[in-house]
Amino acid sequence: MDDTPHLALIHAEIDGELDARQRAELARQLLAEPQIRTEREDLRQLCAALDALPEVEPPAQLRASILAALPPSGIPRSRSGWSAPRWRYAALLAGVLGAGALVFETLDGTRPATTEAAGTMAAARVPVTLDTVRLNSGPVAGRVSLYRDSGGLGVVFALVAPAPVDVLITSGEHTLRINALGRTTGPGEPTTTVALRGFGTGTQAVTVTFLMDGRQVGSATLRSPDSR
Amino acid sequence: MKEDDDPALVRRCLGGDRHAFEGLVLRYQRPVFNVALRMLREPQDAMDVAQTTFMKAFEHLASYDPNHRFYSWIYRIAVNETLNALALRKPAAQISGEEPDESPGPERQLAGEQASQALEDALMRITPELRSVVILRHVMHLSYQDMADILQLPPKTVKSRLYSARQLLREQLLRCETA
Repeated sequence: MDDTPHLALIHAEIDGELDARQRAELARQLLAEPQIRTEREDLRQLCAALDALPEVEPPAQLRASILAALPPSGIPRSRSGWSAPRWRYAALLAGVLGAGALVFETLDGTRPATTEAAGTMAAARVPVTLDTVRLNSGPVAGRVSLYRDSGGLGVVFALVAPAPVDVLITSGEHTLRINALGRTTGPGEPTTTVALRGFGTGTQAVTVTFLMDGRQVGSATLRSPDSR
Repeated sequence: MKEDDDPALVRRCLGGDRHAFEGLVLRYQRPVFNVALRMLREPQDAMDVAQTTFMKAFEHLASYDPNHRFYSWIYRIAVNETLNALALRKPAAQISGEEPDESPGPERQLAGEQASQALEDALMRITPELRSVVILRHVMHLSYQDMADILQLPPKTVKSRLYSARQLLREQLLRCETA
């Protein structure tokens, strides 16, 4: 906030939050200082213009696209609930887990003792999607999801990019690097599943950083519902 | 806001009534889209964020606390999603509230639509954190308490950010006039 008291008074006046004493003080300063009158007028005009910014009608297809994207089954009864089929991501996730995805990984920094790449058969696991971020700007498109199953947390990538994407997954002191993800050509979004065995069950948020040619081109933060 | 009806709609949703969720979509698609549009400016990005917002609301509806206003909850999801989307934009598209304006010339500082355009340009130059408080206050016309609930910040911090944002916007517009 500005350290000049008269500005705080002006903002409070605009918001209708001045008491009688403050109003009198502002009136006194306005009379004494032309510059304060100018600042007040500028801010009043600014706020009036902001208040007048028009609301935009959403595209007609928005409602339909939202409803079409919902899973055909009902709303989950609890955070840990799972009803299949659910998200389209979830079906994708189950398929990937069932098939067993091969992940080429390297570690950046100290390797957590129990960190491992995914690729294990997980037919007995029941994954729950905790968060999904769509990647819709920058060179990397697609989505990334955080899930939890009986083995702990994991991340599913479905990326499309003009060049191979390296990914850093970080949470607290843990860092995991995955090299060369993403399809550069062809239809569909190839998926890669990465189990975060060393990240701990109490992990609240995972940051995913995308790199191309060693340069950061995007990032996303995935959060478990408990952290929201 | 017909907030009194929201808990009933949520209860119906949780009871398996999908049409009740459609009611929530109908009620909140416009404000959610507008929050996203003012934050991101690109209509397609705003649509994506709106869609993701409702998908996450559906996914996590069981965790919604009916003791709080539903719109605070869904606006919070929307704001977080816009911040996620902005974080994924290229660095060149990132904004700073401290940088001088370079693009618009004096001819843009006319009345009407051009003034509105200059204001929207200035909004995109302040940081997303400051922009979000301006949008919640001046576009969504929310109280400080509602904004604090949505942003999960103390009301005093919300107020401080809003004051700072207004000051930066004023300075941006003054630079436009003198450019």
